[in-house]
Amino acid sequence: MPTGTDLARDLAAIVGDGHVRVDDGALAAYARDATPLFTARPQAVVLPAGTEEVAAVLRYATARGIPVVPRGAGSNLCAGTVPLEGGIVLVLTRLDKLLEISSEELLARAQTGVTTAALADAAAAKGLLYAPDPGSRTVSTIGGNVATCAGGLRGLKYGVTRNYVLGLEAVLPTGEIIRTGGRLWKDVAGYDLTRLLTGSEGTLAVITEATVALLPAPADTGTGVAYFDSLADASRAVAAVIAAGIVPATLEFLDRKCITAVEEYAGLGLRGDAGALLIFGDDGSPATVSGNLARIQEVCAETGALEVTLAENVARADALLAARRCSLPALSRLGSLTILEDATVPRHRMAEMVDRIDEIADRYDLRIATFGHAGDGNLHPTCVLDPDDADGAGRAHKAFAEIFAAAIALDGTITGEHGVGAAKLPYLTDRLGEDQMALLRRIKRAFDPAGILNPGKLGS
Amino acid sequence: MTDHPIVDPTGHTPAPAPGPRPGLGIFDKELLDRCISCGFCLPACPTYALTGEETSSPRGRITLMRALEAGDLGPDDPTLAEESSFCLGCRACETVCPAGVEYGQLLEQWRDHQWSGPNRPWIARALMALVSRPGLLRLQGLVRRHARGTAKAPVQPVTATTGPDPAETPADDFAGQQEAGPQVSLMLGCVERGLYPGVSRAAQQLCPEITVPTRQGCCGALHAHNGDSETGAELARTLGEQLPGTILTTAGGCAAHLAHHLGRDRVRELSEYLDTKGHQPVGQVTVNGRRARAALQDSCHLRNGLGVTRPPRELIAAVADYVELPSAGKCCGAAGTYAMLRPEDSKKVLEPKLDEAEEADVDYVVTVNPGCLRQVQQGLRRRRSRAKAIHLAEFLALAARSAPDVPPCGDPAQR
Repeated sequence: MPTGTDLARDLAAIVGDGHVRVDDGALAAYARDATPLFTARPQAVVLPAGTEEVAAVLRYATARGIPVVPRGAGSNLCAGTVPLEGGIVLVLTRLDKLLEISSEELLARAQTGVTTAALADAAAAKGLLYAPDPGSRTVSTIGGNVATCAGGLRGLKYGVTRNYVLGLEAVLPTGEIIRTGGRLWKDVAGYDLTRLLTGSEGTLAVITEATVALLPAPADTGTGVAYFDSLADASRAVAAVIAAGIVPATLEFLDRKCITAVEEYAGLGLRGDAGALLIFGDDGSPATVSGNLARIQEVCAETGALEVTLAENVARADALLAARRCSLPALSRLGSLTILEDATVPRHRMAEMVDRIDEIADRYDLRIATFGHAGDGNLHPTCVLDPDDADGAGRAHKAFAEIFAAAIALDGTITGEHGVGAAKLPYLTDRLGEDQMALLRRIKRAFDPAGILNPGKLGS
Repeated sequence: MTDHPIVDPTGHTPAPAPGPRPGLGIFDKELLDRCISCGFCLPACPTYALTGEETSSPRGRITLMRALEAGDLGPDDPTLAEESSFCLGCRACETVCPAGVEYGQLLEQWRDHQWSGPNRPWIARALMALVSRPGLLRLQGLVRRHARGTAKAPVQPVTATTGPDPAETPADDFAGQQEAGPQVSLMLGCVERGLYPGVSRAAQQLCPEITVPTRQGCCGALHAHNGDSETGAELARTLGEQLPGTILTTAGGCAAHLAHHLGRDRVRELSEYLDTKGHQPVGQVTVNGRRARAALQDSCHLRNGLGVTRPPRELIAAVADYVELPSAGKCCGAAGTYAMLRPEDSKKVLEPKLDEAEEADVDYVVTVNPGCLRQVQQGLRRRRSRAKAIHLAEFLALAARSAPDVPPCGDPAQR
């Protein structure tokens, strides 16, 4: 590998002097993302201006065997953008042009560094909906969303990022620029590389542009909250709602620990005596929304809810959704080392899973609260530690290893929406098996023969 | 269950048990630990918007602070120096931080360390010395007005800046005039007193019940933001003793700094004070016979530090057609001494705002802080823009002048 100075000089020849950083400060700043406990410094940080420069950087790196970690806003929670083997962090924030929003074709085309919120807001201004709604939408980029196949609060009804990606422009590690898919809703020509790259976590190619599907914006939305004695009761209500033929846009839960933390932090007027709460919401025509919410209200009452109320106005609805959205910060105030995880089980086994999590937390003497997407069984067990707890992190790692194993044992998975990254790579074989892991590695080699792209992650 | 090692089997994943770390004591550990590195602050940060680089984002800067605290980066590190200075200190990141990181406090601690002694930018040093000597400030105001009087200055929306010498503050005239009720003292503001004395006069006109103690110093915000938070705190406490009762200020930056040191209850910024006492602005501001179109430029510290956003908007809307500019809540680049220390970056932050003002075809950009007033005023002048910058107090006074039953404010004929 070239030394620091040579690397800086060579990269500057590609992207210009002002867009290469090799100073200690920048290397420290790019040594981590939003994942606690993972840091590794790169040798250089480079900020290309466009696809051609990305290609040139990758050609250069492949020729010299230098690791390259593509990165957007670095808001991921799986250490997916930590440069484990050093090398180059390829920052794509300068590729930030929203290229097109078409009301006729119901699609948007954006460079990789456009934030999800910017794209969604621009679509909304034209009466359109970009359905995926990750919690980090104001900061996370569309490229990062595609690379991790981000989920979000509307996942139950609308699915995840994967369901909306029509086409991609991407650069292979060897420098070829490919365009997969395109602008069509129906296109079955060849292997579905668009889907393969979606969720590939920057290990196969660098996504530089995405074409995503939009929907007409729903005319109305509504929200409500149901309190239960226990999460088991809440889970039965979720199953009953789905069995009643309703697939609401939002069906989120908080366990008792989260309710307490959120209430202490934000004072939203939540019931403190409840063991769990469900926040439900739907969108569509006003008749559909009011009909569905009324039916959910009935079903929750029938399954033993302590109390069910509909938000009388937008402000109250926002407050309820805020309860869900502020779960992480509320918990983080209990201890600043906050490890947010992402296990998913079939939704009828959610209560079982939460029991397992509680049992594991007790055994390791850890504070783990759980909230998440009840509708799709996606749980976010969140461990809160005092950073001065000398062996807390070690206990947390062991506890989470057991939690992932428990999820798999319940026919679930180790990540529902955050991705595998470096954080969960050790558990991936348990989920996929040796044969699939071997296939993943062969696919990785086909895209990245030199093995330079995001090493230590998927395909390693 | 497979027994996974705590660390990645490839051996790449350092999972350091954090444990107690001694640190150098530069930062309050509680404050520094609060950040969970989620990155939600990135889109709110004006300097991140300029560069797209992690180092110039709040999260990146906190990573730098942590490296400094841990001794991983030396005190002479150029990136540390650059970033501690590049940050505007607008605290927009605090409003979007889910974990409640008090970034403004961390920045003060950072600059206390980074900008101590000879490392403090000379302009900041000079200014800090200047505001400790009110006489010099007044002189500066005189020189400035003289220069403007001889140059071809644009017509000012109010005549306040051509009024009598600010050294002759009307404090004495007003002394003892307060009505019954809790005492409210007007803080004159060291910079404002020198550059925009009309603002205090307009505030007195709007709030005749207030007292204006003659002897009052600087609030210390300037010091706190420029690497001397100890003096900053001391000056705030002294001013707190000099000014009895509630302290009323016409500067958002001073309001936030004073509130931090004296308690939120003791400090009221003008718009919030007028709002609480149910003040109904009278008259209206007209331009060429029609109602003026006016936009607000929020003061960062008023908005992000104290959460005051509604009152100034409502007050403007009462006397003019209020226009909300898309970036009204974002920093204008004045940021205390920033516009002097980093004029180029300051301009880059300001320019899109001026574009917006021109596109919206507003007559006035109203500000609630002298630094913002100066910044927007200079920017608009530079462009020879039709729009004018004006402080809220003067804007309301200007409106009052159009109301026949109300004694005009700032009208030379009445003095």
